[in-house]
Amino acid sequence: MPTGGVFSGSVNLKYVKLGYQYLVNHFLTLLLVPVMAATALELARLGPGELLSLWRSLELDLVHILCSAFLVVFVGTVYVMSRPRPVYLVDYACYKPPASCRVPFATFMEHTRLISDDDKSVRFQTRILERSGLGEDTYLPPANHYIPPNPSMEASRAEAQLVIFSAIDDLVRRTGLKPKDIDILVVNCSLFSPTPSLSAMIINKYKLRSNIRSFNLSGMGCSAGLISIDLARDMLQVHPNSNALVVSTEIITPNFYQGSRRDMLLPNCLFRMGAAAILLSNRRREARRAKYRLVHVVRTHKGADDRAYRCVYQEEDDQGFSGISLSKELMAIAGDALKSNITTIGPLVLPMSEQLLFFFRLVGRKLINKTWKPYIPDFKLAFEHFCIHAGGRAVIDELQKNLQLSSRHVEASRMTLHRFGNTSSSSLWYELAYIEAKGRMRRGDRVWQIGFGSGFKCNSAVWKCLRSIKTPTNGPWDDCIHRYPVDVPEVVKL
Amino acid sequence: MVFEQEQEEVAPGAVHGHRLSTVVPSSVTGEVDYALADADLAFKLHYLRGVYYYPPGDVARGLATKVLKDPMFPWLDDYFPVAGRVRRAEQEAAGGEGDAGAPRRPYIKCNDCGVRIVEAKCDRDMDEWLRDDAPDRLRQLCYDKVLGPELFFSPLLYVQITIFKCGGLALGFSWAHLIGDVPSAVTCFNKWAQILSGKKPEDTVLTPLNKPVQGQSPEGVTAPRSVKQVGPIEDHWLVSAGRDMACYSFHVSDEVLKKLQQQQKGRHDAAAGTFELVSALAWQTVAKIRGGDVDTVTVVRTGAAARSGKSLANEMTVGYVASAGSSPAKTDVAELAALLAKNVVDETAAVAAFQGDVLVYGGANLTLVDMEQVDVYALEIKGLRPVHVEYGMDGVGEEGAVLVQPDADGRGRLVTVVLPRDEIDSLRAALGTALQVA
Repeated sequence: MPTGGVFSGSVNLKYVKLGYQYLVNHFLTLLLVPVMAATALELARLGPGELLSLWRSLELDLVHILCSAFLVVFVGTVYVMSRPRPVYLVDYACYKPPASCRVPFATFMEHTRLISDDDKSVRFQTRILERSGLGEDTYLPPANHYIPPNPSMEASRAEAQLVIFSAIDDLVRRTGLKPKDIDILVVNCSLFSPTPSLSAMIINKYKLRSNIRSFNLSGMGCSAGLISIDLARDMLQVHPNSNALVVSTEIITPNFYQGSRRDMLLPNCLFRMGAAAILLSNRRREARRAKYRLVHVVRTHKGADDRAYRCVYQEEDDQGFSGISLSKELMAIAGDALKSNITTIGPLVLPMSEQLLFFFRLVGRKLINKTWKPYIPDFKLAFEHFCIHAGGRAVIDELQKNLQLSSRHVEASRMTLHRFGNTSSSSLWYELAYIEAKGRMRRGDRVWQIGFGSGFKCNSAVWKCLRSIKTPTNGPWDDCIHRYPVDVPEVVKL
Repeated sequence: MVFEQEQEEVAPGAVHGHRLSTVVPSSVTGEVDYALADADLAFKLHYLRGVYYYPPGDVARGLATKVLKDPMFPWLDDYFPVAGRVRRAEQEAAGGEGDAGAPRRPYIKCNDCGVRIVEAKCDRDMDEWLRDDAPDRLRQLCYDKVLGPELFFSPLLYVQITIFKCGGLALGFSWAHLIGDVPSAVTCFNKWAQILSGKKPEDTVLTPLNKPVQGQSPEGVTAPRSVKQVGPIEDHWLVSAGRDMACYSFHVSDEVLKKLQQQQKGRHDAAAGTFELVSALAWQTVAKIRGGDVDTVTVVRTGAAARSGKSLANEMTVGYVASAGSSPAKTDVAELAALLAKNVVDETAAVAAFQGDVLVYGGANLTLVDMEQVDVYALEIKGLRPVHVEYGMDGVGEEGAVLVQPDADGRGRLVTVVLPRDEIDSLRAALGTALQVA
């Protein structure tokens, strides 16, 4: 039967692929084994007497031996010293807002209706919310529950203190971290940047050391979480035996858009309250209890291209209201940025089999036939888990298509979008917490975190799991993980 | 000094600085619908307005808005229909009864939309405010909104928190009568206070589900005598009376009660309780100021026996009493009280079954409302008992209403009348002598 033939054909192809992958990825082993076998046979054949006479014929004296030993020791030391220090993720904590911050769809729509006179923008926001992929349980800060919202500086600071201090307190509980042990502090919050900075606020609250190295990153968008991790990693290379505290958050209070421009209304509908605190360390003794080790961070910035630079742009509209406009080309630009990032990260993480296929297809496109489609490497061979920034349903759909991922791989991202909304730079940590809460994180698993942000930037981080994570994890998902995954409908009827 | 940025012109002593926010149930209710009973729909044009006054002091100072709001989230988990919004049922399929223009049956969509909280300030001392006895002070302390014109976005409950200059606190509840009667409302508010004080309240009973009554009275039948037919009402659920209505409260001390009770001694049918006596006094006074013509009164009572135990229901009995022949202005209070005790014609079922839109309070007749068995002073916040509670009503028709509730120490009675504003002064004058003990 034709179907039988096709089926058996595809099964055969699968085995061919597997065979090819095994051959290429274990090439060196497969080459080395016969060589070692031959050498061993030869040695056995020669016998001990012959070997001893071979040794004497080299005429080595003490000086030669000492110099060789010295050389070996010297090379070995240089090698060990020049290796990068391993960076361990000891633990992290995600902020879970209280039920008093909950915003159901109906309440959001009612507030929008009461605040805005513009019928069209109300209807537009209803349509956005219906298709957003958010659930009825997302959170907005207390100031946004007022009609109209109350975006004062005091309210913004209050939100910052609430989310950041709660996340750090949770992290301290989980790790036993002492304030005097924090050597490096990196805080990223894109849209709220008071004086003194949020990092100063943390230093003040927790009475951190006066020689702490603190950094406050603002304006860097939703991918700033991975930029902070990169900065902390670089600092940990320079400072031995240190702990780094990284805090990623986005403060919603000051950024409510009060106008009616459609491209600026999206953030109102999607952005929600959240924060994450991460403890990184390069201390040897932390390796025993650390959850992950940081393997790679790859950053790609497309800002040199004008279109990419302007695609997420904060400006004032005609009425003077400040908002963040998202251009219609956002998805295309995100796809481009992702391709650039993949091109860099591919060789670092993909097994040789995929790299060869990609290389040959690339050569073929250049030399043989320009119409061949570029080979999309199978990243599922390189990673067990994917954390895609929950920027919106469209972003996750686009990446799922581009990377050819199954729905199980993007489940963490979709469910985080449903439960917590778009919490900006901290969303990657909520997604990681989801995977852990589901009990899927095993020792040796590799995780790929991908973040997108204004600029336009695409940043990736690769982690390797050092120990299997047991449930329950005491994380933000504990009280509701049994309900997940939920089926998120395409359009929710409001 | 002139402040350039002043947003509103604040009349001295008025309540100002209103800030609105919303409180929702703490967990997802799920898209359930709460069906409204026929009795519920009969009361849909009325709104309960209740104010609780708390004295200044350390406890009141510690009652920040957050302290008052936080217990509301779990409270609304139990009372999730109160956090819903009114919707109309989908159009029936072609071939259903009634023409396409007939209004579809309303129900509550439990979409967790929430309850509106209003924060306000008043630059006067609470004592001064209470002593002033201004008519319609209730309206300033309870957010003055009704259901409609956009039913989709109209909350069923508003809670206003007003802080006085001295630190005293007033809590004003605006409750749509549609969702429950006076005892339901008061029990609901008391449960919130229990959660605030850390106690676990009784379970909320929302079953059995409401079903439309089978034996509906056919079209074309006139309304029962207790109520007045209005409408048809579209989406703005308020019938504005031709005249401006105002609430006014006065206290009937227990000495006055004793005097009234003594007056009915010697009558062979001395079966009248305090409600009958007090409301008879009010009936007589209103008849006097109107110069007669208050021959029939509607009586709405909380019969404890008649309650089914459901936490949200409209189960007050509705009936009417006709004064036999003589004008109430000239009849003894004791005589009127006896009529109220014995001669009530019960029309509860008829009112529920009636298909059109009706005004129960103040529609056809002056309406006397019995709130004696409702424990309004039980709304203790962290052990702080209210010093004064008054309940009024909005959406009352021109005939007016009289609400009789217990007072602070339980021995006297607090009476709130809802009358056209120009009748309030005459009422005050007429009552002046009646309320004296001598």
